[in-house]
Amino acid sequence: MTFYEIIKNDFEPMLRVGVKYCGGSNPEYDRVALVEQIKERLEGKVSFVPPESEGVDIILAVNGCRTACADLSGFRGIETWTVTGNEEGEEFVRKIVEREVHINGKAKK
Amino acid sequence: MTMMTAEQYAESLGKLNLVVYMFGERVEDVVGNPIIRPSMKAVAKTYELAHRPEYEDIMTVVSHISGKKINRFTHIHQGTGDLLKKSKMGRLLGRETGCCFQRCVGMDALNALSIVTFDIDAKYSTGYYKRFLKYLEYVQENDLTCDGAMTDPKGDRSLPPHKQPDPDHFLRVIEERKDGIVVRGAKAHQTGAVNSHEVIVMPTLSMRKEDEDYAVSFALPSDADGISYIMGRQSCDTRKLEGGNMDQGNLMFGGHEALVVFDDVFVPWDRVFMYKEYDFAGQLVEDFASYHRQSYACKVGVGDVLIGAAQTAAEYNGVARASHIKDKIIEMNHLNETLYCGCIACASEGRKEPSGTYCVNTLLANVHKQNVTRFPYEIARLAQDIAGGLMVTLPSEKDFRSPETGKWVEKYFKAHPDVSTENRMRILRLIENITLGTAAVGYLTESMHGAGSPQAQRIMISRSANLPEKQRAAKKLCGIEE
Repeated sequence: MTFYEIIKNDFEPMLRVGVKYCGGSNPEYDRVALVEQIKERLEGKVSFVPPESEGVDIILAVNGCRTACADLSGFRGIETWTVTGNEEGEEFVRKIVEREVHINGKAKK
Repeated sequence: MTMMTAEQYAESLGKLNLVVYMFGERVEDVVGNPIIRPSMKAVAKTYELAHRPEYEDIMTVVSHISGKKINRFTHIHQGTGDLLKKSKMGRLLGRETGCCFQRCVGMDALNALSIVTFDIDAKYSTGYYKRFLKYLEYVQENDLTCDGAMTDPKGDRSLPPHKQPDPDHFLRVIEERKDGIVVRGAKAHQTGAVNSHEVIVMPTLSMRKEDEDYAVSFALPSDADGISYIMGRQSCDTRKLEGGNMDQGNLMFGGHEALVVFDDVFVPWDRVFMYKEYDFAGQLVEDFASYHRQSYACKVGVGDVLIGAAQTAAEYNGVARASHIKDKIIEMNHLNETLYCGCIACASEGRKEPSGTYCVNTLLANVHKQNVTRFPYEIARLAQDIAGGLMVTLPSEKDFRSPETGKWVEKYFKAHPDVSTENRMRILRLIENITLGTAAVGYLTESMHGAGSPQAQRIMISRSANLPEKQRAAKKLCGIEE
């Protein structure tokens, strides 16, 4: 690995995830607690930002039930992950960790 | 400003010079009064949630007049999506507060006026709609809470306004001036009146030419000269003065109602939205009532709390696994979700009015409200059934805390070994609060009479149901040709 590649790798900007909630009129689980868990699990790997921030890589749509009515109309063209329960939150964490491993793996070659 | 925080809202109320009476005395510190304050905190919740990202999809919206983000309670519905979110907002806030949060009535008044002022202009070339939009902008920009004041004391119910022995039993215009009008009368049962920055007055029924002095709609600051508020009592209201934190049931929130007296109050012309156009009084009443009948979505949220409390009481009593208890919980959920169906249905079947405002489906809104006059009573009955008689025979918190009696209360009211007596008492007090105490005003009697008594909905159902079309369908199938 060249010196440039080492520097680039160390300063690779973290994935920026914007959390967009549904309105929470009748949620079937604690949406905020789930997001806190996800943030904890992905600490150091992902930067969580307000959804309308510049340079968001992924919108994490956190819906209280399977109606999944979070308004995503302002995020067209951005990769979106929809979560409607704790299991899908777990799945999101797993995929992000996999992606991280993949990116790091490629960088090391 | 555009969106106030809960703290800014409380501060803004403190700046008002409201004339409020309770228990025969003037209330000097309205915001700090221990009986009124829980109701202020319930309204404050509508401000707080609007700033939290996990609720902003429901609680906020972009204004169609300013393009700014505003609290939904100041919004004019621009589609059925807005109407649906309004229903969902009602359930959300009902569940968050366990009581009436008071702010829907002003939203309903604003929406009804956005339709009717436009329609009056179309017929009479008046300038009400433009005037209304200017007022709306002021409300949105300052994120104000408005009291929608419709119900007059009404005097002798068999007589129209102009034939009442006391002409002030319906609010009326008593003087026309160059710069405005002077009004006299009162509005009864005004929910959240002393937590409001503005009061929006509307006529209470359809009117004829003879009643034209009563066909008036306007808005005023709630502390305008000549306006006084006399607080209504609520069952168990003085428990809030006793100290402690158990016997109130709901420790944080509540509602209130007041008689609002207009003692020769001046209204400038730029605040007048209907003046003697008696032929539009009925439409304003109907549009407002339809919106407000939809607003009873809040009872679904309070129902959520009551069902949760009943299930908890069953667990604390050690009977949650009994089949009849399970069945009662199922029935409570069935009734509560049936209510939800109605408020969602009338929203999704909404229609566009000439002004561009979307209004709920009138028939379905009335069916929904008719259900609300019944189902909360049955849900409350089932909750009391599950709670048991202890709910109304529990000693006070002071007896529970007393060195002399506390040990016996603790010992003899212990049920499930893993649950403290105190927690058992708390959940029973909450059920008492919603079904018999201060919150029963909102959950039960307001469900019966608020937004119109049951017969008012039956009249609207009769008027809106298309019987000839149903007859045509029936006759066609059995071969009747007339």
